[in-house]
Amino acid sequence: MKISLFALILSACLLGACQDVSLDQVPQTERSEANFYQTNADFYNAIVGVYGALKLTGIVEKGSGSYLYMTELVSDNTDTGQARGGTATELYYFEDFNFALSSTTISNAWTSHYAGIARTNSILDRLAAVNIPQASKDRFEGEAKFMRALFYFNLVRFFGDVQLATHEITSPYGANSLPRSPAADVYALIISDLKTAETKLPTTIPASEAGRASVWAAKSLLGKVYLTLKQYDNAATKLKEVIDGNVFSLMPKYADIFPATTSFVNNKEYIFAVQYKSGQVGQGSDLWSNWAAVNASVALLGAGGGTGGGFNRPTADMDAAYEAGDLRKDASMLNSYKAANGTTVNERYVVKFRQQGALNQDSDVDFPLLRYADVLLMYGETLNELGRTSEGLTYLNQIRKRAGLADKMDLSQADFRLAMEQERRVELAFEGHRWFDLVRTGRFIPVMTTKGYKVKDFNQLYLIPQREIDLNKAITQNTGY
Amino acid sequence: MNNLSLYHCRAGLLGLALLLTLSQLLAQTPSLVSGRVTDEGGQPLPGVTVLVKNSSNGTTTNAEGVYRLSVPGNNATIVVSYVGYLSQEIAVNTRSTIDVQLAPGDKTLNEVVVVGYGTQQKKDLTGAIATVGSRDIQKVPVSGFDQALKGQVAGLQITNTSGAPGGNTSVLIRGISSITGGNEPLYVIDGFPVNNAGFGNPLNTINPGDIESIDVLKDASATAIYGSRGSNGVIIITTKQGKSGKAKIDVNVYTGFQQVTKKIEMMNAQEYASWVTEARNASYLDNVAGASASDPNSKRASSYQIPAIFQDPSKLTTTDWQDAIFRTAPIQNYQVSASGGTDNFRYALSGSYFNQQGIIISSGLQRYTFRANLEGKLSDKLNIGVNLTPSYTDQNDVNAEGHYGALGILSAAQSMPPFVPVYNADGSYSSYIVVTEGQPSIANPVQIANEYKIHPSQFRILGNAFATYSILKDLKLRVTFGTDINQFKRRTWTPNTINPSNPSTAEARNGEDNSWLNENTLNYKRQFNDHSIDAIIGYTAQRSYSNQTIATAGNFPDNLIPNINGGTVTSGSESTQIYTLQSFLARVNYGYKDKYLITATLRRDGSSRFGANNRWGTFPSASVGWRISEEGFMKGQTVVSDLKLRASYGLTGNNAIGNYRAIGQLSGANYVIGDVLTPGLGRSSFTNPELGWESTTQVDVGLDFSLLNSRLSFTADYYRKVNSNMLFTIQTPAVTGLTSAVVNLGKVENKGVELSMSSRNLVGAFKWNTNFNITFNRNKVLEMSTDAERILSASGGRPAYAVTQAGYPIGSFFGRRFLGIFRTEEEAKAYTVQPNAHAGDVKWKDIDGNGVINDNDKEVIGSPYPKYFFGFNNTFTYKGFSLDIMTSGQVGQQVYNNSFYLNNSGVQNNAQYVYDNRWVSPDQPGNGLFGRAIRGGKNDNTQYSSVYLFDASFWRIRNVTLAYALPNTLVNRLGLGAVRVYATATNLYTFTSYFGYDPETNISGDSFTSFGLDFGAYPQARTVTFGVNLSF
Repeated sequence: MKISLFALILSACLLGACQDVSLDQVPQTERSEANFYQTNADFYNAIVGVYGALKLTGIVEKGSGSYLYMTELVSDNTDTGQARGGTATELYYFEDFNFALSSTTISNAWTSHYAGIARTNSILDRLAAVNIPQASKDRFEGEAKFMRALFYFNLVRFFGDVQLATHEITSPYGANSLPRSPAADVYALIISDLKTAETKLPTTIPASEAGRASVWAAKSLLGKVYLTLKQYDNAATKLKEVIDGNVFSLMPKYADIFPATTSFVNNKEYIFAVQYKSGQVGQGSDLWSNWAAVNASVALLGAGGGTGGGFNRPTADMDAAYEAGDLRKDASMLNSYKAANGTTVNERYVVKFRQQGALNQDSDVDFPLLRYADVLLMYGETLNELGRTSEGLTYLNQIRKRAGLADKMDLSQADFRLAMEQERRVELAFEGHRWFDLVRTGRFIPVMTTKGYKVKDFNQLYLIPQREIDLNKAITQNTGY
Repeated sequence: MNNLSLYHCRAGLLGLALLLTLSQLLAQTPSLVSGRVTDEGGQPLPGVTVLVKNSSNGTTTNAEGVYRLSVPGNNATIVVSYVGYLSQEIAVNTRSTIDVQLAPGDKTLNEVVVVGYGTQQKKDLTGAIATVGSRDIQKVPVSGFDQALKGQVAGLQITNTSGAPGGNTSVLIRGISSITGGNEPLYVIDGFPVNNAGFGNPLNTINPGDIESIDVLKDASATAIYGSRGSNGVIIITTKQGKSGKAKIDVNVYTGFQQVTKKIEMMNAQEYASWVTEARNASYLDNVAGASASDPNSKRASSYQIPAIFQDPSKLTTTDWQDAIFRTAPIQNYQVSASGGTDNFRYALSGSYFNQQGIIISSGLQRYTFRANLEGKLSDKLNIGVNLTPSYTDQNDVNAEGHYGALGILSAAQSMPPFVPVYNADGSYSSYIVVTEGQPSIANPVQIANEYKIHPSQFRILGNAFATYSILKDLKLRVTFGTDINQFKRRTWTPNTINPSNPSTAEARNGEDNSWLNENTLNYKRQFNDHSIDAIIGYTAQRSYSNQTIATAGNFPDNLIPNINGGTVTSGSESTQIYTLQSFLARVNYGYKDKYLITATLRRDGSSRFGANNRWGTFPSASVGWRISEEGFMKGQTVVSDLKLRASYGLTGNNAIGNYRAIGQLSGANYVIGDVLTPGLGRSSFTNPELGWESTTQVDVGLDFSLLNSRLSFTADYYRKVNSNMLFTIQTPAVTGLTSAVVNLGKVENKGVELSMSSRNLVGAFKWNTNFNITFNRNKVLEMSTDAERILSASGGRPAYAVTQAGYPIGSFFGRRFLGIFRTEEEAKAYTVQPNAHAGDVKWKDIDGNGVINDNDKEVIGSPYPKYFFGFNNTFTYKGFSLDIMTSGQVGQQVYNNSFYLNNSGVQNNAQYVYDNRWVSPDQPGNGLFGRAIRGGKNDNTQYSSVYLFDASFWRIRNVTLAYALPNTLVNRLGLGAVRVYATATNLYTFTSYFGYDPETNISGDSFTSFGLDFGAYPQARTVTFGVNLSF
């Protein structure tokens, strides 16, 4: 029996020892902070993740992210085809100007933009120390700073003073008393980031890199920032650099700008766009299926195309905003569709991002954030503000000409402003410009009030999400909310 | 458990030793009485106490049942008592020899109870442990023992969250301790603490027919030996072992049928048409200025249009969609088992087949189980054995739950307009999914059940080998090595025929969860003089590996191949997790004179789950017991047969915090670059090297009390459990880039009282036993990261309806306070805080008193947890007949009825009670709960409020079994050992005021932060079965 006892103890020890019961276990199928941020490929993945932040629910997402509700639905451009109640409750905040402090749309916008900013900070903090080629470093830095500026520019326009984070925050408690910084400080960072990005980004983006930022994207955005700040000289300089770069031009036909069939190489107008791809890999757009007429289903969207959300439905006022003969209208919105039984259903809906035959929430149509027509119009606006109204008119009329409309002539500076407001509205409809434009020019309250919206002065900034105030006593609410 | 017989053997030896010691002492006195004590069958009883009445002078019988005792004189009376037998008092008179035959009393006291890493006699327990035997487990014909335990153990709350075959249950021991961590108890099967992984309910892999006993460990004294896994309680399952003797073969067969217990009355087509018309007109008038109810459809936006088909409702016919999806479904079970052996080799083998079809068409479960428990004695010192339990479970699930938009069958059946037929004239499925008049599109529920395939299956083999070696007479080494190999997969297929707007998709998931365990324990057990010691120390190591791969496919050119191979694989992922646990454990049980009992335990656990700075935890507990009935002053009285006071205190942990939670991770943030899907990454969690287990302290004071020779016995426990350092997801400012972080924080308290009682009311030829247990548990969150913090939660795709916040139970219902329905327009206008309200709309409380109703006007409006729950079970036997009636109930809990919510939103649920009780006009105001029919009104009546909460108290006749055991004479003539035939009815009737299918069933599963949602959960069936047990 001595032997069996020995064998027993031995086997017990062997069982314990030969199998790995080490208490140090690291994730097997997830990348962890311990082993990431080391190679060029790691940083590339990280920068793709920054672009990927555009698809967070609080930014553009598949299209029905917060961004377009906060810029289009809130304006006179669109309302919603969804019935009140349930999930549509949120949408009606933007119609009624009666926002809940807990609004998830607004809260998501705050959260997602900061998620994007944090991703850029994680990269920027680590770039200096890592051993990768300088050219890569420069480009990653340029891209991270461009994107950080883009995220902050949205934040400062939506919320005014916002928290300024320029480095990664490693502790969950690391921002519990970080206050909002004055908008001027935020703009200073945006301008500084874009100036750096201008020097680090490439001038051409090959088709294989479609979606990444170029020097032109940085210049266009910087021009827009200056215009927003009413620094017209600076704006004019930057925008002119884009125009003189001769990389971009207007597409001959307005209707050809948006379809997925227009390839990256052939699209001369997109300076920076959110990239979508079908194939049910989580990268499709819902700008067609969710914006098509509510419950239109197969009649409009075809088999597998979804039911139709009607989330952002053009208003009657939008419908009337197009001048007679404007070629842009049918490429932007329609008034009715034929139901399965042949009857005509009168319901307005956006067709700008239509892709007939796409599966539900899975279309290829990209969404422009910076478009050459916008640059031309901004430049025209800048010239007018600088007192060069007639010069500015030529840029306005370039856009009108393509739309099949007669030139505008002999406008006063004030009339030019109204003509530009109208032109930007129809040219850039449903692309997320309307609210920014009206607020920027101080026209949001008069325009909306005239049209019967119950908008109040303080609605020119959004409310600060209640969760942020709950978590940080230093955060104050915007006036009025 | 395997050394049960050894234990008895040694107990005898100890008794002999004691006797020798005592007899030396007694040899000094001249007047002696001696005799032999036997049981009812004439077998000698060792260890029986023989005492001179009103003195401390006494002895115990030896191995042959013989005692010798000196008595002071002829007038003396001796008291002969033994646990489990009725005490006797005998006047000595002049006799010198008194033989005594004891009649059986309550045997429960020397029942063996399985505790962690050993066994104890019930009388020696100082912790709160309840035992359920095989007979009570097998009364109810169900797939898993968890469902059978319902109502049988105080403090154990079992809720069938789904009535589907193999459906989920939530199992709680003494309340909900954890907000974010797991709340499931630890399951230990034949000594092996198992992970429960799989699709569906993993407890289905254990055949209830193989279970010998289930022990429920509740207090810290009992569970601390399981250290960082003990705080949610422990359920120990012991499978049947062979006994030496003649081979015995048992055959168990039952078969029967199941039906839905209740149908909900629905509107007919005409009522539906008028309801929808009313709702559309109301919302048209509400939303559009200058609208008139007589406006034609051409003037209306689509959501306000009156469907053309309603122009002549009298032509519509009514379909009963519930009849279309429910059916009478068969259930059957076959089990053959064999057991027997010699002193040196024992075996227990079994095989079973279980087949349960579901009461919703297309659903069902089949299971094959096998078991081989073998034990051999290689020498006087060495025993070895193995337990092997393979099983295979194969399910056909249906998507019963949730919103019809997500293809929930019950929701679709309740929302489908009644004028739609199940099939078109050509035999194809009809549908309501291509509609133009703003109607919601609803897929055909029969088609969903038949075509939306969800097919999980699971193969599991639980194997455990052990050896025990007696190093010394009292010192034993036990080494076990076990593996739990658990492989599961699930295939789902959703063809586009169900809803042409949604393309066909298929998904394949394969998972495995394998773990191995090595345990080495050294046990020392000895009794000397008045002292008894039972001590154990040990080292254990466990490693778990789990892996899951998921592939989904889309772009199906056709529906010919209903799996991922038929389309294009659009995404795939693999996830692997490993976790390790090393532990040292120790326990001492000390008893003095069988009166004073002390238990102390200590476990030290190190786990890979815990952060680098906090890797090892220590979990101590101590408990004391005082058997008052063994005191001298209690001797001689006959009323109290047992009385024990217990108290325990200890610290246990909850390691169900997930793997790798301490390590900051990056997760996918993919994007399209160059028109190619390109992987991107972003930080998804903070690094927290301090992250550790949750710590629970628990105090328990208990009383075990039996009267009148144990005809009546009571157990009462008071407990208070405080779980602190919880795995807690704090909200972080978004500027960090993340909105949450996992830390250890907060406190939750559960305190309560458990009472159980068993009574042998009648003990003659007609026997009547009653068991009753009741539990009062109060759950309260004591601390969170801030006092004001609220964790809002939801299930089933609903907006948040539950809150977890300090001062309230976890997952309290949270929403607006319903004040009533505005009866008149004047009433509505007078209530200025709701400017959009009209007569028939819902009135809410302006909680913050600021003059408007908005998101801030929410408060705790109810609780999904019962004030108390109970089991009340009776058994009647007469000759060969027995009748068992088991009932159980819960009182005071509420349910959020989301079907009513859908109904209230206008046209999506067609229950008759809403139609009948709605507000129609000031003169026809309904019952005051249900507002006017309106779809998308400006007042937004659908806002979640207390109007959707309903009392779901119930008392359910859980099971009735009538059995007849054939007389032995007849059975012997047939050449059989025993024959029992029986009929059972399960869920025979439920007393409740709740109007949904089932007050118990809800779709929140184990999600206690959002419990109590009734949204098309699969209802429990009423089952009638007939069975026979044969023994050879």
